[in-house]
Amino acid sequence: MDADAGGVPATVRLAFAPEARLLGTIRLVVGVVARKAGMGEEGIEDLKVAVSETCAVAVGDLNRAGLPDQIEVDLVEAPDRFGIEVRDRAPAASAGPEGAAGGEVDDRELGLALIGALVDDLKTSTLEGGGNRTSFWLRRGPQGLGPIPGVDLPSPLT
Amino acid sequence: MDLDLNVHKEGDHSVLEVAGEIDVYTAPKLREQLIELVSDGSYHIVVDLEKVDFLDSTGLGVLVGGLKRVRNHDGSLQLVCTQEKILKIFRITGLTKVFPIHSSVADAISAPVE
Repeated sequence: MDADAGGVPATVRLAFAPEARLLGTIRLVVGVVARKAGMGEEGIEDLKVAVSETCAVAVGDLNRAGLPDQIEVDLVEAPDRFGIEVRDRAPAASAGPEGAAGGEVDDRELGLALIGALVDDLKTSTLEGGGNRTSFWLRRGPQGLGPIPGVDLPSPLT
Repeated sequence: MDLDLNVHKEGDHSVLEVAGEIDVYTAPKLREQLIELVSDGSYHIVVDLEKVDFLDSTGLGVLVGGLKRVRNHDGSLQLVCTQEKILKIFRITGLTKVFPIHSSVADAISAPVE
């Protein structure tokens, strides 16, 4: 990871084609690496949701732009926390014409809300030359707890 | 991991058992199943999430879409879930106030329609 992670080098670096079918594989690897790093089960699940949501946005943006560029995922093991950084070369992020759920609800907003609630230090920025960088950390707690036990958001039905 | 769907009738209710991971890749399969149920006249649906290993925002969106569809027919969509990791997703997004969530299919079926 770069500056956002305080210069801590990646423990594991993944790169995958922008295909939604690969998100399960990414979650699997994140789960294994985080478990070996000593994260608790709840923290592991939070990380899997956060990385999957982040990568799903990148996959969608790259697909809409017609770009085959790989998405890079850094997994960073630090003494007191576990970090993830996702980088993609998609143009400026934008919602699809109907949203990922076929216009039923803005699940991009739901996804961002989930990420923000589940992890610490969520940062997003643009990459030099185009693209997006999203990074976040999760502290190691007794049970790998995330930062917020529950945040009520406006109902998508209202 | 793929998504497995199984539907059976219990009285006036259609019970949709979901097993596997619901994400942006698999959610369209769930959406199509819910659309098909409503198109076939099933307006009281119980979605059993007990065998779901992963749920993301796309899956939430599909369930909200299903709820909107059955409500258009004065129907109901109820969930069955006792897994904390899945319930947490509903709590964070405020959807525990939108979906009736039960601990068993029997409880969901016997619950009064809101």
